[in-house]
Amino acid sequence: MKKGLIILFLFIYVNAPAQIYISKACEISFFSATPMENIDAVNTSAVPVLNTTTNEIVVKIPITSFIFKSELMQDHFNENYMESEKYPFAVFKGKINETIDYTKKLCYPVSATGNLSMHGEEKCVIIHGTVTPADGKIIIEGKFKLKLSDYNIKIPKMLLQNIAEEVDVSVSTTLEPYVRN
Amino acid sequence: MKIKFILISILFSFSILQSFSQVDLLDIADKNKKANKDYTIATFKYTRLINTQTSETLGKRTLDVLISHRFGNLNSGGNNLWGLDGPANIRLALEYSYDGRLMGGIGRSSYQKMYDGFLKFRLLRQTVDGKMPLSLTLYSAMFYTAQKDINKQSNGYDRYQYSVDRMSFVEQIIIARKFSQRFSIQLAPIFVHYNQVEKIRDKNDSYAIAVAARYKFTKRWAITTEYVWRVKHDYDENKYYDSFGLGFDIETGGHVFQIHLTNSFGISDNQYIPYTATKWNNAGIRLGYNLSRVFNLPAKK
Repeated sequence: MKKGLIILFLFIYVNAPAQIYISKACEISFFSATPMENIDAVNTSAVPVLNTTTNEIVVKIPITSFIFKSELMQDHFNENYMESEKYPFAVFKGKINETIDYTKKLCYPVSATGNLSMHGEEKCVIIHGTVTPADGKIIIEGKFKLKLSDYNIKIPKMLLQNIAEEVDVSVSTTLEPYVRN
Repeated sequence: MKIKFILISILFSFSILQSFSQVDLLDIADKNKKANKDYTIATFKYTRLINTQTSETLGKRTLDVLISHRFGNLNSGGNNLWGLDGPANIRLALEYSYDGRLMGGIGRSSYQKMYDGFLKFRLLRQTVDGKMPLSLTLYSAMFYTAQKDINKQSNGYDRYQYSVDRMSFVEQIIIARKFSQRFSIQLAPIFVHYNQVEKIRDKNDSYAIAVAARYKFTKRWAITTEYVWRVKHDYDENKYYDSFGLGFDIETGGHVFQIHLTNSFGISDNQYIPYTATKWNNAGIRLGYNLSRVFNLPAKK
């Protein structure tokens, strides 16, 4: 009887859903809108990782993987604004504030609070969005505004009309259970 | 005994949980990041430095409209506003790259009515991880002068009787390295061939090595310099000189502005490499600028 219980215990734990989810597809984009010019770029090389037991989420974003419409703009972004060789990554470390039942196929409105470090600066950000668990996968979508001056990114006076002081960042990713190698 | 066994198994089960919840997510992200080759960007700001070609090519689907201008000699005096009154040389060009590695262009400079067409191919690119320590770019250009033989009437002979005689060629291998955020240098062996040269004892082929460097002293300003050493030539030593230039690269949003002093009047490679006719010593230099505006063609999305 007791042996049976032990086996049951082990069985439960072994079959518990994987707690670590990792992104197989992630799209992070930002949009800067001014009357003069709209600038946008997309990054598909970021790797978000989610721990569903603690609700912790980490996203590591390689700065040089932001693709712009114009390559000259991309060069300027990396060389003059983000200094990508010095600061190659942006990292978000945070936590989803709501409790989510990851076994239910529902769309949860959530917010995530955490620190975004970028360009040598670290600031607290709140990301609003949705978490949708679906067929063993988790779809996360989120949006937030990012103030360039918070991250010591300086815009030359001449270009103030072309670059917004606040840019809209949006994230869309599908996470899958992480299998350790 | 049995209780102990249960306890141990429960603890063991918890440890499985523990190992998952205490895991460093950043560590996992690091291990699973997509391996993409990071190329060193902006070894130079532009496809040209002053006169010389740099290792850079235009970006993907980029059309570049380039205007290069050289004023007259500085030593032409105050009455000529130190060369600003002219005579000036201007080159207008359209250059394009579809894939960001191979670029081509056509241009025309007013001096010697020189038409040019070139191809430039970026063979190797320096990577951030240092596995590829340098960039290597191949450059091949051909030139066609549309000028008339001014001595045709006097000596009854047209030196451009055959149009092949109007043509000349320049081949270069450009080897560049970005040493730091600020400092880049490049070395380029150059081969110049003229189908027809001026004097009977002049040789059609000449060789040169160009050294070019830039130092960025602010985010948008860089000081640039270039020197073209004519390794092998056999024309009169006192008639032509090595080309030397000093300048600034200034970048503004969508374009690059380069302003400089150089002793070369010609802008085309076949002109300034072998035939720079004035020297720095007696202020045989001039003010010049390259102005570039890029367009995305076709525009993405």
